[in-house]
Amino acid sequence: MTEILRTGASGRTSLASLTGSGQGVLGILLVVLCLGISAAAPQFYSEANIIAILRQCALVLIVASGMTMLVIAAEVDLSVGASLAFVGCISMAVLNATGSLTLGVLAALAFASGVGLVNAIVVTLFRVNSLIGTIGTMMLLQGGVYLFTREAVQNHHQLASFTALGAGYAGPVPIPLILAVAIFAVCAVTLRFTTIGRYLYAVGANERAVRLSGIRSARLKLVAFVVTGLCVGVAGLILASLMNAGQPTAGRGFELTVIAAVILGGTSLSGGSGSLIGTLLGVLVLKVIDNGIIILGWNQDLQMVVPGVVIILATYFDLLRSRHHAR
Amino acid sequence: MHDDLALFAEEPPMAIDIAVPALEMRGIGKRFPGVLALEAVDLTLAPGKVHALMGENGAGKSTLIKILAGVYQSDAGTMRIHGRDVAIKSPRDSLRQGIKVVFQEIALIDEFSVAENIFLEGHPTDRFGTIDWRKIRTDCADLFERIGFAIDPAARTGSLPVSQQQMVEIARALAHQASIVVMDEPTSSLTPKEVKLLFTIIRRLTALGIAVLYVSHKLDEVFEIADTVTVLRDGRHISTRPIGEHTDDSLIQDMIGRRIVDLFPRQRGPAASRVALSVEGLSTRKLHDVSFEARAGEVVGFFGLMGAGRTELAKAIVGYDPIRAGTIMVDGQWMTPHNTAVGVGLGIGLLSEDRKVEGLMGELPVYQNASLASLGRFAAHGFVDAGKERQAVQTYVERFRIKTPSLFQKVKNLSGGNQQKVLLSRWLMLGLKVIVVDEPTRGIDVGAKSEIFGLIDELAGAGLAVVMMTSEMPELLGLSDRVVVLCEGRVTASMSREEATQEKILNAAIGSQGRASHEFRV
Amino acid sequence: MSFASDRLEGAPSVWRRLIARQEVAVLVCLLALLVFFSVSAENFLSTRNITNVLGQASLALIAGIGCAVVFISGEVDISIGSLLATVAVPLIVVMNDTNSLFLGISAALVVGLAVGMINGFLCAYVGLNSLIVTLGMMFVLRGGVYLYTGQRAIADEAGLDSFIALSDGRLFDVLPYSAVIAIVLLAAFAYVLRYRPFGRQVYAVGGNSEVARLAGYDVRRIKFACFVISSLLATCSGIILAARVGSAQHIAGLNFEFQVVAATVLGGVSLSGGIGSLGGMALGVLILQFLSNGLRSLDLPTEWQLVITGLIIIAAVSLDEVKRRRAHGD
Repeated sequence: MTEILRTGASGRTSLASLTGSGQGVLGILLVVLCLGISAAAPQFYSEANIIAILRQCALVLIVASGMTMLVIAAEVDLSVGASLAFVGCISMAVLNATGSLTLGVLAALAFASGVGLVNAIVVTLFRVNSLIGTIGTMMLLQGGVYLFTREAVQNHHQLASFTALGAGYAGPVPIPLILAVAIFAVCAVTLRFTTIGRYLYAVGANERAVRLSGIRSARLKLVAFVVTGLCVGVAGLILASLMNAGQPTAGRGFELTVIAAVILGGTSLSGGSGSLIGTLLGVLVLKVIDNGIIILGWNQDLQMVVPGVVIILATYFDLLRSRHHAR
Repeated sequence: MHDDLALFAEEPPMAIDIAVPALEMRGIGKRFPGVLALEAVDLTLAPGKVHALMGENGAGKSTLIKILAGVYQSDAGTMRIHGRDVAIKSPRDSLRQGIKVVFQEIALIDEFSVAENIFLEGHPTDRFGTIDWRKIRTDCADLFERIGFAIDPAARTGSLPVSQQQMVEIARALAHQASIVVMDEPTSSLTPKEVKLLFTIIRRLTALGIAVLYVSHKLDEVFEIADTVTVLRDGRHISTRPIGEHTDDSLIQDMIGRRIVDLFPRQRGPAASRVALSVEGLSTRKLHDVSFEARAGEVVGFFGLMGAGRTELAKAIVGYDPIRAGTIMVDGQWMTPHNTAVGVGLGIGLLSEDRKVEGLMGELPVYQNASLASLGRFAAHGFVDAGKERQAVQTYVERFRIKTPSLFQKVKNLSGGNQQKVLLSRWLMLGLKVIVVDEPTRGIDVGAKSEIFGLIDELAGAGLAVVMMTSEMPELLGLSDRVVVLCEGRVTASMSREEATQEKILNAAIGSQGRASHEFRV
Repeated sequence: MSFASDRLEGAPSVWRRLIARQEVAVLVCLLALLVFFSVSAENFLSTRNITNVLGQASLALIAGIGCAVVFISGEVDISIGSLLATVAVPLIVVMNDTNSLFLGISAALVVGLAVGMINGFLCAYVGLNSLIVTLGMMFVLRGGVYLYTGQRAIADEAGLDSFIALSDGRLFDVLPYSAVIAIVLLAAFAYVLRYRPFGRQVYAVGGNSEVARLAGYDVRRIKFACFVISSLLATCSGIILAARVGSAQHIAGLNFEFQVVAATVLGGVSLSGGIGSLGGMALGVLILQFLSNGLRSLDLPTEWQLVITGLIIIAAVSLDEVKRRRAHGD
């Protein structure tokens, strides 16, 4: 009995987490989607298409890894889309000015984690609800990026190492995918095995209890916001590299895709529960749908509708789950 | 006082047949996860009579009232109002049946004026459906004048002191055309003068044939106002008798059902002389110059009426809330105020009165709840050694006899008593020197209560200083080595266990105000 | 706690109550802004410019009523910007087909009503977080418009005079019709919020939904109604916008919802519900509109508007939080 009841980091038994958090359902959904799409369009299983899907997933998964930590701590960051565009422009501008990949990467990471820090201050110090507060920073960034540059910042440095960030391969594996897997693994290990991870769940489950236990909850939230920011930094670099330019208009709706993936993966918006495995499945489902829309030749504007519908449905399932558990 | 019945110019709410009971509840049952709150309870209210409902905390009084108010639905039983079978599924149904419940927690809209709150159930309108604000103001002013209220009808409700808000809440019952008025502990925050006014109001209600259900645990109030008394205990109906057949002793006997001594098996020895906690001149928004000491192995019990500042004191000394002045020393070391991290580091922690909001992480398993404060102990380089952690929790589960199917059970599925034990082990695993317990047995079954008492006794026996905040007299007298009484944020008395008597404590708790009705909490 | 001593506390002077209101502070800001721009920009205070600004502000004023009503009920609706673009499609398409303004507006209102009912159902009856639902709705609607229009504007080919009058007609040749509509709607809803039981119920539900439930209110129905009101008013804004640009634009109303939210919280309508007035919201809208008008006349990039909106949202919400905490005494 004890063997069956070995727990995951979220504290659920692994058996229960499969059914209870809907991860099993999500896995089945993923398989059904893949089978359905490939039946209609056999090129779904071509190597090129699979790599395209994975590359698409990489971008979302990187940010969703940080976002999962944040949502587990009962906060959320809606500014990631706007930040993504800004990071691309800034890194490209710095690269153009200095010609140094290190400086470009550092600038991107510093800027993105700075945004995370500002969000953390707004939420923990000013006590603004993070859903609203990060809409505020989203607007700041959207306006700010246009003040920074009205047009795309083109790639004038032509650094091969920068291009490789987005488009390169290590053996048969695209580099963004490697980065995503690394970040995913670090976040997953942190959430599952470390004290910080455990405290993040605790803060999300009951912040007052955590504070009464002598744990500095504001610092934990700050860590989660900054980690999310860093993830956006990495994703912004990859995106700029893929587009070979810093686009001020990039990343619109990106935050919605990320949050839809996280909630779809069974991480509750009310905090305290969820897992990165779920998020991974959520990202895969969303991106397979996206890909399906393209290879089935459907109108690509559907890609905007899907995450909108998914986020509402996923929130509904989350509610059903918590009502089910309350019984 | 205004004793004429002109108060109600209107006719009684409906033609009331005195022969038919205003309310008959038969076999009412209600179950919550882990707790049977009510089992086959009967209650009959006669028109024009005051019926008192008594019982200790957790006896099921509030659940019964909430069923009447439509907040909860009963799982079993039937209800008849004025002889008609009814089903109350929502507060709306309850109001439609002519039931008006005055809750202990004030149910007013803070931002609204007093007058608007009086008419919250239905704004008077003209024939075009436009709200008649002038009528609201004048009717409210008239009502207040007739019953002798000195409250400005235009005042913002949230800006009034609690006692006046409570009176506004009571006055609402008059504006509403009710045939059954339920009052849940209406005097808990009233001044003696206001209590008198309340009783005048109740007598007028009954003179109109309105049935009043008066929920209280204050004996003399009940003897003064009630015609009949029903006592509940552990969710069961114990007795219903005319008040004339009761004495103080017989009522207490019905409510407690056993002698206080049996509940508190004291086993620990005398306290050490080492001072574990020393508080000097502590002041906050609510507290004024509070000083006291607690020695290792000692239980210091703080008693006070509602609003005396017990919870505020508890939260200030553990560093959760900011303070204005004073020093707190834990085990001889100065503690940084408003910093729980320092407090926990020095070895002082709080077992909060509100388990759900400030203690439990309901969605997380038992073992994670227990190890929260001491998680660092089980970690190396930031990685948690889960095996070591669970083993440590397991010892406490066994030591405290925590009833849980496994360590991985979500803590919200445990019963109140077991939840409290999990929270106690959270602190004991850390190894505290001082534990502050605020209302440790609130919302806990009677059986589990004495277990919690035993644990507190054991903690003190093991050398912890225990600071206990309580509003329950038997708990206070049974457990404390020393009793400190708070009144309006000040210490008004401090006495040893031997000196302490109920009367002394209550006098100090009532303070200079000299409340007419004294309180007996069991 | 003292039991009898602070009887006087209940009645602060009328003057102090007035000072404490955020509306007054916002009015002072607006006047300061007007003084600043009238000194630094030419023709700023001309009748033409003022009435122009009122005309431009009418979109946000009308939708802002709905936003404020939803806020007061304790919920949020950020789908209104996309709705502006959405309702223009049936409006223009039906008008082009039938040459009837009435049918066009009816079609737009039906779509708006449906969106409001979906939002209301999901938030009030199912109990989902309104910010998430309307965020999702925002993308569903925008995506829907992209799908239908193929990211191209649908031009108004009917060219009905009555429709065009919505954009450039002026009452007595002074006040744009859109501003007149906004003022009439503001007055009507101010009346509803103050003098109809429904209005007071909205405040009560937002102030304390449990108390409202105990007072016998149908909390869910009230919240549902607020979402419907919000969507219908946004539909009105959408119709006026379509008249102004003479087409159904897929990018119409981009970021509009955030401008309205910023104006509403700036005007002292609390996100936590139960507090605020339409007057405050209107002042908030005017401040933002004069600001953007002034920025343009000073030749500053209009993107500052976005930055300022973001700052206002953060500042106003944190101020609201400070006030709330002070009122609760912790």
